[in-house]
Amino acid sequence: MAFRLAKHLNGISFKEISMGFLVCPANYINYQITRPHTKHWNPKWKRLRKMKVIKVELPDFENDPGKLSEEEVRSKMKEKGLLPPRPWVERPFNITCTGGIFEAYVPPEGDGKVSSITAQGAKQNVQFLEKKTKSMMAIRKVGSFDEDFNRSVFIEHAEDIYKKTHEFIALKDKYKIREYVTERAYPEVMHNLYNKTIIWKFIKNIERPRMVHARCTDIITKENVFAQITVRFHSQQILAVYDRFGRLMHGSDIIAKDVLEYMVFEKHLANEYGTWKIHAKIIPDWLPQKDPSPLTYKKPIETSVTVANEEKSTAESTETNISSPTLIEKPTNTSQTA
Amino acid sequence: MALAKLTNSFRCLLQRKQSTQNCLHTSALLSAWQKERRDPKGWLRYNKVIYPPQSLNEQPRPAFVCHQKTNIKYSPWKMWYIACMVRGLSVDEAIKQLKFVMKKGARYVRETIEEAKELAVKDHNVEFGSNLWVAESFVGKGEVIKGIRRHARGRYGKVEYFHCHYFVRLEEGPPPKHYYANHPKEPHEQLHDWLNNMRKRKIYNSL
Repeated sequence: MAFRLAKHLNGISFKEISMGFLVCPANYINYQITRPHTKHWNPKWKRLRKMKVIKVELPDFENDPGKLSEEEVRSKMKEKGLLPPRPWVERPFNITCTGGIFEAYVPPEGDGKVSSITAQGAKQNVQFLEKKTKSMMAIRKVGSFDEDFNRSVFIEHAEDIYKKTHEFIALKDKYKIREYVTERAYPEVMHNLYNKTIIWKFIKNIERPRMVHARCTDIITKENVFAQITVRFHSQQILAVYDRFGRLMHGSDIIAKDVLEYMVFEKHLANEYGTWKIHAKIIPDWLPQKDPSPLTYKKPIETSVTVANEEKSTAESTETNISSPTLIEKPTNTSQTA
Repeated sequence: MALAKLTNSFRCLLQRKQSTQNCLHTSALLSAWQKERRDPKGWLRYNKVIYPPQSLNEQPRPAFVCHQKTNIKYSPWKMWYIACMVRGLSVDEAIKQLKFVMKKGARYVRETIEEAKELAVKDHNVEFGSNLWVAESFVGKGEVIKGIRRHARGRYGKVEYFHCHYFVRLEEGPPPKHYYANHPKEPHEQLHDWLNNMRKRKIYNSL
């Protein structure tokens, strides 16, 4: 140790060291206190010190490879010598069901409430008769494909499908749901099911379900026929939706409600193995507006809105500009107190 | 959109390549030249637990959300101090405090908490993002990449490049007064304990 110290001191003149002892401590105020150096004072060893450690290329965990921009992906692929992929031009296409409702049934206003004795109810009955001929033609067409087709049997079958679908929605059995619902309706049925518990009960029919509308159409070729039948259900049901933590979000598991629904059932008649499936639900225009959600939420900031805000604020004064972000949050706060 | 197209087509390429193995390649585009990430999965599984419905007279179960950030290039031992600091704070307080921690890890912790707060509102039926508190906050050891270091006389040393995972659970409601069970007692509690001890004491050789 002493030898090493002496060697070290050799490099520095004695005068310098002695000066250090004599200088007034007040001069050291300008010095910054640093940690003792563990490295050699002479920078010529820096390069050699660096060579001691062999550099490893650490993987980039932070930047998700799935979130790279197109240009970055290109440069990365170039770096690795990979050819650019073939452009994706195919479009997924479904031929087992139609994309919507053709000649949708228009439910009479105030259905489920208006009696046939009133003027409005009488008018409805007349209109119903007018529209019947086309439906009859369609039903005859269905019969030409499906010889066993019977209206009353079909209604029972439709009711069964209706109940089964709801039961499987409550169970969240996606494989069974697919058997009762067309590909068009499937995403609508599955929407918002995630992380929720649903309790659904069918209590009774207020009115017997009845066929109100039927249409047939052919797509691309003449033989490729689809049939759609609208069935009116007027029933009493119980619905309660709970969130992931078992807290009630919507409805009630005690109170039964009257439900009037127009369900569109579809069948691919040209398909020998086609079955009747729920295709859509008709929501009339006269339906009263839904109750607002009891939960408040922050309105997502849209870019177009903010641009408009900025223009407005610059035109008026700088003060509004500052307060503009808080304006969006305000409704949340007010509802919290309410 | 274009990237999605790219990804899809790349998958197709890979599919064709692996057709002999009859398996579908579904990982991200760049995993072709990057090792598949093995992130911890257990923590996020708590987010999928669905609890049975509660009756109306029951105390509503507080909502919670679990979130994590994996393989942060920071020492797990240094990260521990930051993780401990935010425990039992309300979310907004934690975020505010972390802004003043001059450590590299503080940024990652803050980002994770902010993400968890957003997730809670978006997916877990939490009405107000600020009505959350940090119920759990801890660190895990991530991937350790080994490097080599030269020593004298042809010897070599090992260099370890540590990564860490950060896990957080936010719970709905106001934070508790004391996070840990062994918190210092209130004066009246201390007095109560002292009195109890005094009454319980045994005087030897007495009646």
